[in-house]
Amino acid sequence: MKLKYIKTAIAVILLMQVTACTDILDKDPVSSFSASGFYKTTADAQAGVYGIYDAAQSVFSYNFCYWGEGRADNVQTAQTGESLTLLSNNLTNTASSADWTALYRMVSRANYAIAYIPGVYEDDDPAGMQLVGQARALRALAYFYLVRVWGNVPFITEPYTSIDQDIFIGKTDKEIILDQVEEDFKYAAENCIEKFNSNNDRIMFTKGSANAFLTQVYMWRHKYTEALATSSLVMSNTLYSLVPIADWGKMFSNSYSKESIFEVGYNDTETNGLRILYAIGSYAIYTPSVKWKASIEDGDLREDFVYDMVPADPKAIWKYLGRGVSDEISTPAKQNIILTRLADIMLLRAEALNKIGGAANKTEALSLLNAIRTRAGLPSFATEADAIAMYGDLESAILQERSVELCFEGHRWFDLVRTGKAISTMGPINGLSNEANIVWPIHQNSLNKNPNLEQNPFYQ
Amino acid sequence: MKKKQLNVLFRPERSWKKAVLLPGFMIMLSVLMIFSAAAASTLNLQQKRVTGTVTDATTGEVLPGVTIVIKGTTTGVASDLDGTFAIDVPSNNSVLVFTSVGYAPQEVTVGARQVLNIGMQSDVTMIEELVVIGYGFKKKRDLTGSISSISASNIEDTPVKDVLSALQGRAPGVFVTANSGAPGAGITVRVRGYSSLNSGNDPLYVIDGVPVESNTLSTLNGYDLHGLNPLADINPGDIESIEVLKDAASTAIYGSRAANGVVLITTKRGKEGKARVSLNYFSGVSEITRHLGVLNAQQWREIIIDTYKNLDRYNNATTPSEPHWTAIDSLNPMNNGDVDWQSVMYRKAWQHQVDLGVQGGTEAARYAFSTSYLDQDGIFLASNYKRITSRLNTDFKVSDRVTIGQNISFTNGRNNRINAGGTGNLSLVQSILVRPPIYSLTYPDGSPINYFNGKRNPVGMAEECTHLNVTNRIIGNQYLEYNILKNLMFRTSVSIDFISMKEDEFYPTTVDYRAGYNWGAVRSRTNMTWANENYLTYNATIGEGHELGAMAGFSMQDWKMETTGLDGLYFASDNIRTLNGAGTISNQAVNRTDEHSMLSYFGRISYNYKGRYLAEANIRADGSSRFGAENRFGYFPSASAAWRFSDESFADGLGFLDDGKLRLSIGQTGNEAIPNYVSGGEFAIGTNYLTYSGASPTVMPNQGLRWEVTTQYNLGFDLAMFNNRVSFVGDFYIKNTSDLLFAVPIPETTGFGYITRNIGDISNRGMEFAINTHNINREFQWSSSFNIGFNRNEVVDLPDEVLTNGYIQNGTYHILQEGQPIGTFYGWKFLGVYARDEDNVNQVRFGSATGKPFIGGDPIWDDLNGDNIINDEDKQIIGDAQPLFAGGFNNDFSYKNFSLNVFLQFCYGNDIYSHLNNMRNWVFAYNNVSTDALNRWREQGDVTDYPAPVRNDPKRNEYLRVSDRWVEDGSYLRLKNVTFSYTLPKAITSKAGISRVRAYVTGENLLTFTHYTGYDPEVNSYEGLQVGVDEGAYPQSRTLIFGLNVEF
Repeated sequence: MKLKYIKTAIAVILLMQVTACTDILDKDPVSSFSASGFYKTTADAQAGVYGIYDAAQSVFSYNFCYWGEGRADNVQTAQTGESLTLLSNNLTNTASSADWTALYRMVSRANYAIAYIPGVYEDDDPAGMQLVGQARALRALAYFYLVRVWGNVPFITEPYTSIDQDIFIGKTDKEIILDQVEEDFKYAAENCIEKFNSNNDRIMFTKGSANAFLTQVYMWRHKYTEALATSSLVMSNTLYSLVPIADWGKMFSNSYSKESIFEVGYNDTETNGLRILYAIGSYAIYTPSVKWKASIEDGDLREDFVYDMVPADPKAIWKYLGRGVSDEISTPAKQNIILTRLADIMLLRAEALNKIGGAANKTEALSLLNAIRTRAGLPSFATEADAIAMYGDLESAILQERSVELCFEGHRWFDLVRTGKAISTMGPINGLSNEANIVWPIHQNSLNKNPNLEQNPFYQ
Repeated sequence: MKKKQLNVLFRPERSWKKAVLLPGFMIMLSVLMIFSAAAASTLNLQQKRVTGTVTDATTGEVLPGVTIVIKGTTTGVASDLDGTFAIDVPSNNSVLVFTSVGYAPQEVTVGARQVLNIGMQSDVTMIEELVVIGYGFKKKRDLTGSISSISASNIEDTPVKDVLSALQGRAPGVFVTANSGAPGAGITVRVRGYSSLNSGNDPLYVIDGVPVESNTLSTLNGYDLHGLNPLADINPGDIESIEVLKDAASTAIYGSRAANGVVLITTKRGKEGKARVSLNYFSGVSEITRHLGVLNAQQWREIIIDTYKNLDRYNNATTPSEPHWTAIDSLNPMNNGDVDWQSVMYRKAWQHQVDLGVQGGTEAARYAFSTSYLDQDGIFLASNYKRITSRLNTDFKVSDRVTIGQNISFTNGRNNRINAGGTGNLSLVQSILVRPPIYSLTYPDGSPINYFNGKRNPVGMAEECTHLNVTNRIIGNQYLEYNILKNLMFRTSVSIDFISMKEDEFYPTTVDYRAGYNWGAVRSRTNMTWANENYLTYNATIGEGHELGAMAGFSMQDWKMETTGLDGLYFASDNIRTLNGAGTISNQAVNRTDEHSMLSYFGRISYNYKGRYLAEANIRADGSSRFGAENRFGYFPSASAAWRFSDESFADGLGFLDDGKLRLSIGQTGNEAIPNYVSGGEFAIGTNYLTYSGASPTVMPNQGLRWEVTTQYNLGFDLAMFNNRVSFVGDFYIKNTSDLLFAVPIPETTGFGYITRNIGDISNRGMEFAINTHNINREFQWSSSFNIGFNRNEVVDLPDEVLTNGYIQNGTYHILQEGQPIGTFYGWKFLGVYARDEDNVNQVRFGSATGKPFIGGDPIWDDLNGDNIINDEDKQIIGDAQPLFAGGFNNDFSYKNFSLNVFLQFCYGNDIYSHLNNMRNWVFAYNNVSTDALNRWREQGDVTDYPAPVRNDPKRNEYLRVSDRWVEDGSYLRLKNVTFSYTLPKAITSKAGISRVRAYVTGENLLTFTHYTGYDPEVNSYEGLQVGVDEGAYPQSRTLIFGLNVEF
């Protein structure tokens, strides 16, 4: 070999090296993406939004029930642990339902999507705006639960992409957060699509579902007029209609019914806590309370779908898992968890109408209530007086209807709080007496990790 | 150690006869050799022929291979097998220089003589040992840093099966523990203690300049906690030397990967001379060192009945409980046996290894070829390891200035593993110890019982399950060296380390309790590393005695790892174990690619004045893809100096002192072993919504993330005394690691649980001593070497954010706490057993103020805070897994052709947490327990230290209670290796054309002195920080080996 060639070869090698420079050090993940580099294509934007729904799956798997039913009067429990803690109003800062980790994960994923999706699309591209709409609706959903469960909470609307950002965020007043919740749902109601023309209409955000949650938010904030506007948009939406009583049970066991407005989707592999909460034979965490069973009017056709009426002490709740569910069959809990459906919105509207008052409004409220009652095989209230005669006032009649129609779907506790009946209802049962006790404690782990966070006053 | 070699021409006649016996590709080399040698012989001017014999002046033995060169020329020969030589010299004034490794050179003027018989004086001082350092060599006497060397002679003559165990007890400050006794199992190596909490504590391994993968790649460890040892892929027979770089001066040249020390492994290269063929064979048998005492059938029945009685007593039950039928009914054939399962499951296991090596070469082409085959049965039923390795190292001198060469090795390993370690029901070592002695393996009709009363069939578990790991590996390195100027050399090399691994796991229906239920898994992994390194070396002597050296270069390295796997259930048949037979593919498909790269620049300058004043400085700049954009490059400097005070005039009076040197070094190294994509954050796929693929942020970015920094100070001295018969090396060091990488919990309102940050400090301080002596140096020779290393490890600072109650829980048994070492055990303290109910004067209660009080037969737990409640607040430090010191003591004796090597190895002051012992002393369900239970509390007034066993353990006295009942002293002194060998006299063998025949017998692990009550004190069930736990690891074995070395 000639020396000359060797010299040349060495020169070439050296040159290659020097020019290779530091580019070889830029290694982006292959089986994942770097946090800042993910949102590049429309497919990425779509995947980012599905990631938020994924977070919602874990948020609601058990907690839809712990938050919405666990502290209220419709359920009873034979178990110790979380369920007894909540029902006996002995909440501690280590309760699993006091942990908001999953909710803030949902917020974080939504914040990433909201910040980065617009960069993927042209300005005003409706495809991008509907994705941002879904992301904002999901963020609003998370904050709506955060505020209802804990009251004032840390409020974050930007993604965390750098260690220089402030991570020790203190609480923000819940009304400010709810303002943003309204803004986000309004944006979704404007920019989400009308419908997917598939089952996705029930498990992803559309204009209709955004309006339904807006109605829930307005009712929570006692903004009745606004609730009327949004609820009428929901009721006129052709996606939604009441199912006949024969199919009432299938709403829950089969999911994706016409009546459903928004449900969190689950399947064979992405399962939830329904089976453990309601239906593992003698071990089910919750069974219907004696009080609730007694509150059902005779001849209510729904009762038989909800639990086994034969034994005095039913071991399970059949709603969701299906009538006659047996723990011998090891089907996973794959039923969707319905967060709102047409009956919910109709009854909320009835409540709003009743609150605003006036003969016409009262009449419409009564007709909405009757629509739900008659479907269940119960007699109509011909006049408000009939309702008053039975339940004391129209609002109570509507609330009772919600308690039965929407039983175990995670509404009861929020209904009691929203209508100011939490203490009067639960006081006799578990001694709840302090307004400040209505929110949950903040989990100790969260307090440990954030010096700027204070425990909620009742739990200090 | 590299022995200094002179270039020697050789005589071609014999070599090629042997060469034709070699595999085909060697023939080509031989042809090359012949040509070049023929060319060389034409250079000889035939004026006068001198012949003679070279012998050892002390023993009178003939010396083959002595180099004889005419002074002032490159003409020379080597003595042959009979020690004879013949050389043509130009004149009577010619001077012949005789040199041989281990002997003082001799210069002889030929004069009128035609026959020269020379006696060579052996001289330990004259061995100019070269030590491999990062990117080069150095004379051992010129070292300024702290490096321990292990030479081939330590490895060659004993049947070592892997590289890392060859290090054990040989180098002070290098603490080696075999994690378990399973063939091919992982080995933990710590150089000067633990210096990281989250980024790995393994040293960097470099084989012939190739940084190689040393972390276990096995992903299917099943219920065995132990990974495999990737360095088991290296044939120890190929190793020329192992250098362990310990202080910063030595390691800083490897920069961001050097904080845990660097292990340089150098393989054998061909030497000029005729082809040397070596054939090594050994065969051995291993057995378990001891059986642990377990209850027999009658004793087991009694204790099971006792547990019911005790439970009744706890519950103040009015009607006695009915014990399980297996405990009462001793006639049922399902449970009327009486078996110590250890004698069923452990066996005498055979192992064999055969090595073939050929090496030799000419000035132009040198080669070293080897191949080996190991077949090792494990002492546990059905475990087996087979390894085939092959290596060829070649060097070609292309011209006066250019040399090219390569090293390439292939390995194929097949490891048939069993589920040994771990705590699960599937784990065998533990499950056979707790298996009741009465259970039958078969039904009365002879068919096997798959599962009975909570216990799987252990024989089926061992023999019928699959746990196969097949690894294929290629490590290769090709280089070019170019002497640009006399003093300036350029070297470039390209190297790869390619590993392809496949693992299969299968559990047939015959070991499961669910009818027709079987399951399996497959994982495949490829790991590819390539590196390119380039550097210039400059050496010059300036003026009188000023030696200057410099080196500068750069390197690039790139890693890629791909993992693919699938799990399946409900296979149609137990005989079709591939995943196509699975009825259901479970939801755990794995497919992932990881990449990582580095770009580095490095340099060194050294100065040496007459060997008296020595100084050196190193620097490396490492850029790593793992670091944040703001800290992509790290700079790792070091400086060192040495003073040979024995050369100063004041040392003249110290006649006994042959050499004395003081060394001082300081430097910084790093640890970049963090996950690949932490700094840039990570968006993970797989966060799906139903069937829609989702992606989500899972790792929060930290663009400022950087390597951990270790600053190390080293003070050392080297002494040689009494005509070099005693040499002594001592080192003192302080090693402070800061910027520890920590996953610091952050508020979950960020959407993330943790962020990786640089925070926290650890320190290691210690001293190391090695002493080598030639005790007797006559016909009977005795030399010994002793080494010992002390290390004190301390966690200095931890971020407050990660502390709960002032510490970090580290696994189940350990904590990390400021001021304490890594490996601190934390739990409850056992003070004895209440003899009577009324002895619990303070009515100490279990768990809470409303808990049940402890009664007679219950343990007395130390109520640390005196609140009469035994709960988490009473936990305290109960042990430390790190030893105070560890070391080895090696003795070589030889007399004529006999030699004896005795190697002792020790470790003192470490505790072992034996979770195995916990499991063996807790009557969980119907588990069998240790014979210690015969001493148990039985009735009021019994004074004993063994509590009463209670069914279901309502006070959690054994169940999940980490306590010092299971902490034991893990110190040991072990007769690790004794080898007795006999070498046939050359006079006999040379007639058969054989240069060496050596037969030996070796005993491994013959004796161990320890207080530890488990199988063996050398155990480490968890890799990483949870050090010193015995979960029931595959036991170590005692082995007797017979071997034969033959060289042609």
